[in-house]
Amino acid sequence: MTGRKAKEEKIEQLLLENYNRYYRLAFSYVHNADDAGDIVQNGAYKAIRGSGNLKRKEYASTWIYRIMLNEIYSFFQQQKTVSMEAMEEEYGTEPAEMDTYEDFDLRAALETLSVEDKLVVELRYFEDMKLEEIAEILNENLSTVKSRLYRSLKKLRVKLSESEEVV
Amino acid sequence: MRVKKLFELEEYVTFHIAKMEKEKLGMRRYSGELQDLKDEYRELHMSGEQIEQLRKQIEKGRRDRKRLGRKNAVTRWSVAAAACVALFILLPNTSAGVANAMSRIPVLGRLVNVVTYRDYSYEDDRHSAQITVPGIIVELPEGEAVDPEIQNTMQKTAEEINAQMREISDRLIAEFEEGLQYKEGYQNMIVDSEIVSRTDDYFTLKLICYQGAGSGAEWDYFYTVDLNTGKQLALSDLFVEGADFITPVSENIKEQMRTRMAEDESRMYWVDSTDMPEWNFEAITEETSFYLNEDGKLVICFNEGDVAPMYMGCVEFEIPWETVEEIWGGCR
Repeated sequence: MTGRKAKEEKIEQLLLENYNRYYRLAFSYVHNADDAGDIVQNGAYKAIRGSGNLKRKEYASTWIYRIMLNEIYSFFQQQKTVSMEAMEEEYGTEPAEMDTYEDFDLRAALETLSVEDKLVVELRYFEDMKLEEIAEILNENLSTVKSRLYRSLKKLRVKLSESEEVV
Repeated sequence: MRVKKLFELEEYVTFHIAKMEKEKLGMRRYSGELQDLKDEYRELHMSGEQIEQLRKQIEKGRRDRKRLGRKNAVTRWSVAAAACVALFILLPNTSAGVANAMSRIPVLGRLVNVVTYRDYSYEDDRHSAQITVPGIIVELPEGEAVDPEIQNTMQKTAEEINAQMREISDRLIAEFEEGLQYKEGYQNMIVDSEIVSRTDDYFTLKLICYQGAGSGAEWDYFYTVDLNTGKQLALSDLFVEGADFITPVSENIKEQMRTRMAEDESRMYWVDSTDMPEWNFEAITEETSFYLNEDGKLVICFNEGDVAPMYMGCVEFEIPWETVEEIWGGCR
């Protein structure tokens, strides 16, 4: 009983410390504040309610990230029911808020990465997380995550030079 | 690529040298851009109203969890109550006359038992292993007569299952010991077992394996013995020979996944997903894990991550009798 209580407290503490991290991650996928907020709030609810399922208190941090990632996945699943055309009409074919001109290429290239690859790049470079930790979130081994990162970096560069070539 | 005409060659080379220069420049610029993007990324934050909503959701989650917790507490109490009742029934049985009468009924369930074959544990700051390898033993209760052929078959089955469980455990121990060489890593390994079901007809032992490095995964093996024949049961043995059991059972599982997801949105299974169709559960196989529960119903089991996100853990589906009634062969 006390173990479960301790887990719940740990999860709550992490949620309240890190909500902006989850929010930023969600935002980078859904590109809008309301949906990103919903994802974090739903994720927080499920994490607290399911706190009994957490195997060990020490895993709480990656466990929450996984829940958030699942929320992001299911968001896209729901989105699928809205027709692609309707979405493009509303948001345009390009990611929203592309006002800053100088980083247009890289940002657009980032958008072409798969969900997992993008997660690796963002958590590694934007949140300064260790690759080991990211591997745990994705439940992959370290070498897989490393190859995701290298592949993504290569892609980002390739995309960058290709668009330069056009100019 | 188009073939370059000769007179274009010079232009071509010049162009590519320029391109390479640009790429170099691009890569240098890229790290600066990444920094810009990072700054921008980290500026994002939730609004006050959103944070307020977040706190409310945390509260709601806590309330709902408590409600769930109470439900579990009631179940636990009922089990305890049931155990007390069993005790009262057992007590009169200890009188000599009743015991004698009982021993003439060949309760085969009592033939098999589970003992610890090997205990392996290791603990330091970064590595932890608790490996308890079970072994099935066949023992004849005193004063009980059992068909020697069945007893022999049972003995052979037990040895086969034991060998498999040992092989799995040995492999995991070897993996764990190899992991000890790496100073950097963390690892956690658990092997344990549980008798998931034991009726007059069937006996199922579950070998539970858990391997973790930070976060972990559980996977299980199920061994079901038909106590009437002493043989280990495969999934197909439960059905009429040649009958297609895979389709009806798989369809029922998908139906249950849909219902469970609709009832409780925190539950998620990979079914009907258009986003990641390659993850979708399509069908069980002949090798899919199963056991027969105390009601004699077929239960299909999946390891963590097989048909649902990892956080769902190992998942089980009890197949309703109506689904398999027509093709059910019982034990052979």
